[in-house]
Amino acid sequence: MATLLEVSGVSVTFDGFRAINNLSIAIGEPELRAVIGPNGAGKTTFMDIVTGKTRPDSGKVLWGERGIDLLKLSESQIAKAGIGRKFQKPTVFEEQSVRDNLAMALKNKRGPFSVLMWTAGAQDVARIEELAEEVGLSDRLDYRAGALSHGQKQWLEIGMLLAQDPRLLLVDEPAAGMTPAEREHTTDLLKRAAQSRAVMVIEHDMEFIRRLDCRVTVLHEGAVLAEGSLDHVTKNQQVIDVYLGR
Amino acid sequence: MLRLPRLAAFAACLIALACFGAAPAAAQTPPASDSITPLQDVLQQVQPQVANPSRATVPQVLGALLAADAPGTVAFLRAWADREVYERPADGLFFFARDTANRNLMLVDIDTGAELAEVTSREVNQIRPNAGVRREIGAALVSFELLNPDPARRLAALENIARSPDSEQIEPLQAAFAIEEDNRISERMERLLDLLNARFATDTATRVDAIDGLSGDISTEARRILNQILQTRAEFAPEIPEGTNVARVRTPGVDMDLAAAYATLADAGLAPPHLGRNAIRDALRNNVVDGTVGGVPVHLLDNDERRREAYEALEAAGMVAPLVTEEDMRAAVAEYVFFDAYLEPDPAVTTAARASLDSTRTAISLWQFLSISLDAVSLASIFFLAAIGLAITFGVMRVINMAHGEFIMMGAYTGYVVQTVIPNYTTSLVVALPLAFAVTFAAGVAMERLVIRHLYTRPLETLLATFGISIALQQLAKNIFGTQARPLTAPDWLAGAIQVNDLVSVASIRVAIFAMALGFLVLLLFILNRTRLGLEVRAVTQNPGMAASMGINPDRINMLTFGLGSGIAGVAGVAIGLVAQVTSEMGANYIVQSFMTVVVGGVGSVFGTLAGATLIGALQKGIEWFNPTNTLAAQTYMVLFIILFIQFRPKGIVALKGRAAGD
Amino acid sequence: MSMDIPRQSLAPTKPPRRGFLRDNPSVLWFMGLLGLFTLGVTVLSEGMGIGMVSTNLVKILGMTLCLCLIAIAMDVVWGYCGILSLGHFAFFGLGGYAIGMWLMYARTEIVIRDSLGRGTIPPTPAEISEGVAAQIFGVVGSSELPLIWTFAGSLPFQLSMVVLVPGLLALVFGWLAFRSRVTGVYLSILTQAMTLALALYLFQNDTGLRGNNGLSGLQNIPGALDVPQSVLSVWFFWASALALGLGYMLFAWVVSGKFGSVIRAIRDNEARVRFLGYNVEGYKLFVFTITAIISGIAGALYYPQAGIINPAEIAPIASIYLAVWVAIGGRGRLYGAVIGAASVSLLSSWLTGGGAPNIDLGLYRIVWTDWWLVLLGLGFVAVTLFFPKGIGGLFDYLVRKS
Repeated sequence: MATLLEVSGVSVTFDGFRAINNLSIAIGEPELRAVIGPNGAGKTTFMDIVTGKTRPDSGKVLWGERGIDLLKLSESQIAKAGIGRKFQKPTVFEEQSVRDNLAMALKNKRGPFSVLMWTAGAQDVARIEELAEEVGLSDRLDYRAGALSHGQKQWLEIGMLLAQDPRLLLVDEPAAGMTPAEREHTTDLLKRAAQSRAVMVIEHDMEFIRRLDCRVTVLHEGAVLAEGSLDHVTKNQQVIDVYLGR
Repeated sequence: MLRLPRLAAFAACLIALACFGAAPAAAQTPPASDSITPLQDVLQQVQPQVANPSRATVPQVLGALLAADAPGTVAFLRAWADREVYERPADGLFFFARDTANRNLMLVDIDTGAELAEVTSREVNQIRPNAGVRREIGAALVSFELLNPDPARRLAALENIARSPDSEQIEPLQAAFAIEEDNRISERMERLLDLLNARFATDTATRVDAIDGLSGDISTEARRILNQILQTRAEFAPEIPEGTNVARVRTPGVDMDLAAAYATLADAGLAPPHLGRNAIRDALRNNVVDGTVGGVPVHLLDNDERRREAYEALEAAGMVAPLVTEEDMRAAVAEYVFFDAYLEPDPAVTTAARASLDSTRTAISLWQFLSISLDAVSLASIFFLAAIGLAITFGVMRVINMAHGEFIMMGAYTGYVVQTVIPNYTTSLVVALPLAFAVTFAAGVAMERLVIRHLYTRPLETLLATFGISIALQQLAKNIFGTQARPLTAPDWLAGAIQVNDLVSVASIRVAIFAMALGFLVLLLFILNRTRLGLEVRAVTQNPGMAASMGINPDRINMLTFGLGSGIAGVAGVAIGLVAQVTSEMGANYIVQSFMTVVVGGVGSVFGTLAGATLIGALQKGIEWFNPTNTLAAQTYMVLFIILFIQFRPKGIVALKGRAAGD
Repeated sequence: MSMDIPRQSLAPTKPPRRGFLRDNPSVLWFMGLLGLFTLGVTVLSEGMGIGMVSTNLVKILGMTLCLCLIAIAMDVVWGYCGILSLGHFAFFGLGGYAIGMWLMYARTEIVIRDSLGRGTIPPTPAEISEGVAAQIFGVVGSSELPLIWTFAGSLPFQLSMVVLVPGLLALVFGWLAFRSRVTGVYLSILTQAMTLALALYLFQNDTGLRGNNGLSGLQNIPGALDVPQSVLSVWFFWASALALGLGYMLFAWVVSGKFGSVIRAIRDNEARVRFLGYNVEGYKLFVFTITAIISGIAGALYYPQAGIINPAEIAPIASIYLAVWVAIGGRGRLYGAVIGAASVSLLSSWLTGGGAPNIDLGLYRIVWTDWWLVLLGLGFVAVTLFFPKGIGGLFDYLVRKS
């Protein structure tokens, strides 16, 4: 398991408030990792930094075997380098069909001219159907994404993430607002995805994390508080203090 | 009490004037009696001298007039010099006269101004003093006024001299200066003396002294005189003549156009004229023989080479004047020296004038800079007034109000309507300001309730909907008030200007607008930072959801904010209407600038708007300074600058940072 | 999945692609209608048909087609890509200026050549160009040909300028604006500022485009000076119809495929598109530039029919009207833009041209020239508030019903 993403000594400040404080974290490939932490621990800001939305004040974010500096790339370049992100709120393009949503995410050339000339080949159509199958939306391919249920939107977004074929998936609270059955399906999806790539899941729900059965990183006040198996971290006194808000 | 030394001085002055000829002033005449015609009485005492004036006799008349000091003396002297006084031979009395319709003269009493009788021109003699006499009378007039006990009259006389300077004024001015006691007047006299001496004095030393006295003087009159001394004329000669005061020698082809230099020689008949393309063509046309010119068929003459060929053939045949080549021109020009010569022959004077003029250069640029800065401040306060209402609505509600300009217009028309009802400008202004606020406040609230409230989630559509309102309002104003510009007149106490010196003056109305902008700045800062309303507004600006959950009614805040912003636009409209024209399109003229002010300054900040207005005002005036003839260009460059500025600071000068700025 | 989805929202949006025209039946409809309209106007025209439609009306209709063309360009950039540009009429005007320079130069050259040619000696090229310059620029007190007119006599050059000038301006401006991530109302204001700067620039006498006199006499086409206006007007009508048809096809193709998908996604959530790996700025720039070029072409066809162009045409207000047309017609559908532009501009010229009868209410007489703008403004507010999908939205409603 080689290191895929290495974040070291990153800090970021908003108007005097330290959202991320000398954070160092690394993930290998393939690996499934859960990130937990109380509100304001800096989980989402961490993702913003990795995906290029927020520029840190200091620190380094290195990517891949060649150690590419992600801080020098734009959001779209980072995405093209192989990092996919699912947002906390499901963000699919509601005005467009599920098929179009997936087609947009497919790993094809992204330049305006190639996209202009693009027509769905047999291979693309097959891939879209395969993805739809995987996220359970086969019979919804030609429906407007806005017409899907909340859970289906979450899956569509995961499907789009998979369509991008990223090496690292950043998944922000995938189980929020899901029924127990849907949660189970989501767990399976993530575990399957993690067999061939790195997946980092941010979640509040301990039960969900237990089911993921993976290494857990606990963030607090913008830094890593503890890291290890779920059982290991839940026994950590500091973690207990933070969560119980002593 | 003050009069006596003055009279004595005047007498002395007259003595000086009369130094050529006749005896000093005539015997003292008794003071004027209580007669109703005091002036006529005095004149009758010196009747022959008035009727047939000569340089020798003028002082006697002046002495008599001075001693009597009858009212109307100055008017009489002026008329006398201007050949407007008539003598009636029958009784020797003097009259003024007016032409009547039937080419006769209407005699006018010199004391009372009453019309006396109509006579033919044969019945009276026009008194015609010669040039020398008239000069003396003129000088006497100057003294008469300069020595007047009334300081205001003396100052007025000085201004007259400044307006039409003349060498004759030097002596009386000097005499008056010697005894002037009022400091202010005496300073003015000293400077006028310098001005007159610089230009008219006969000896170099005096002139140079006077010119040196003018160094550092930034007034227009001083610079005008210095520039007059430094006037030049372009000349040429085989070599520079002895005694020429050369300003600059020009080398043709370097700092003077060769063709132009040659043309001056040709004009003077010193060289054959250089033939232009048209001249060559005409020459060819005059020599067409059987469809060819100089052996070249006419239809081939559509290029310069062929034309030259044909012309040279004609030249070889001796049929046309030879062509002047550039070589010829250079050779001809080399025979002469081209130079600019000062009209003033004395080099010492011109050198001093140049030095004196140069010494003011820095001071003048500084004053001009101050003047531009004041203009910029004035422009900035107008921009600030126009934009601050927009900044409030845009900042708090993230709503673009394209009808903001029409609220400005509404305020201006309110002012106009008030003025038609209340004729007193001061009162009407006092009424118009709060009324304009009320009218536009109401309009703003109505618009917010009816339209904008429904579009909060769709900012781009708010932009368009308010634009719809804007064109409707504009057209409505046109329908009601017509397309003509309506006057909005400032009261008299705001009509003047504060004059610092010849280079810097500020219109009072602009000062008032500046004060008003300052007032609004303070008022808004107070409302936003010190009142409950301000607190709630800030809360809604930062987080509407949170504010609502804390019991603040965002609807009410939005409505009030919008009303406030619109109301300020109305007041700004009255202010802008006082300096610009009130038309239905006046709002549209300010809207883009206002947007740019808000965007450049940074949204949602009063200080940001202030900074934006200052930057844009300063920029526009600054660019105008570099290219004063072209305000359109200035505006173009300003807009371009703003586009570039936004590239580098997309959030404006005063930018909110962090997550709050995310939206 | 056992999720219960409301029934009416289950309507499928679009089957997979089968072919451009079969996927977009509205394009065929549009082409058919445009063809019929063109044929009808030709048959009824003075120049080529039975003379029921006056030459002036043919010109107005041809100009309206050009306005429809720029309206669909506006629809693509705003309705599909979400950039409310208040600068596209500037590109339109630039296209008009580019072709106007050739029209004016070439025609003046013919006149000058003619008058100089009457002399015994034929004129030289320099004499002709000086004569042309004096003729064109006498009105702004100059007799020298400005640098930008160097190639004004060349039709191919000026035709390439019709495309290059708006295209390059859009490219440079768009690059600057999108690069610094100016979006939403800021971007609108920025484009408005650009338009204002351009208009102010052109208003100056010394910028070489005759200041506020503009370019005139554009209805006279060099090389066809002996063709009557009645026939010329039909030619231009055809050219406008052809341009609109081709433009419609082009844009329908652009917005129908994956590209359309991406730009609509950018309109709805540009940050998300970025995380999908698309270079959002590149797409915006592409759309901005291509629509600017089409706008320039529309302008180049419009102004020879209008006969005159001056900087007032470029003023920011014109671009806002363009947005109004598209909003009234219905954003996000090309035929909506055509409907909006055609109906509003024709209605406007009917009402302000004195075509409509004034209404006497006894107490007050409604003069349409005075009240049309009030009506338009309020009507526009109403459309924004109550029919955000515009007239085109009605079609959706009817289609869904049937």
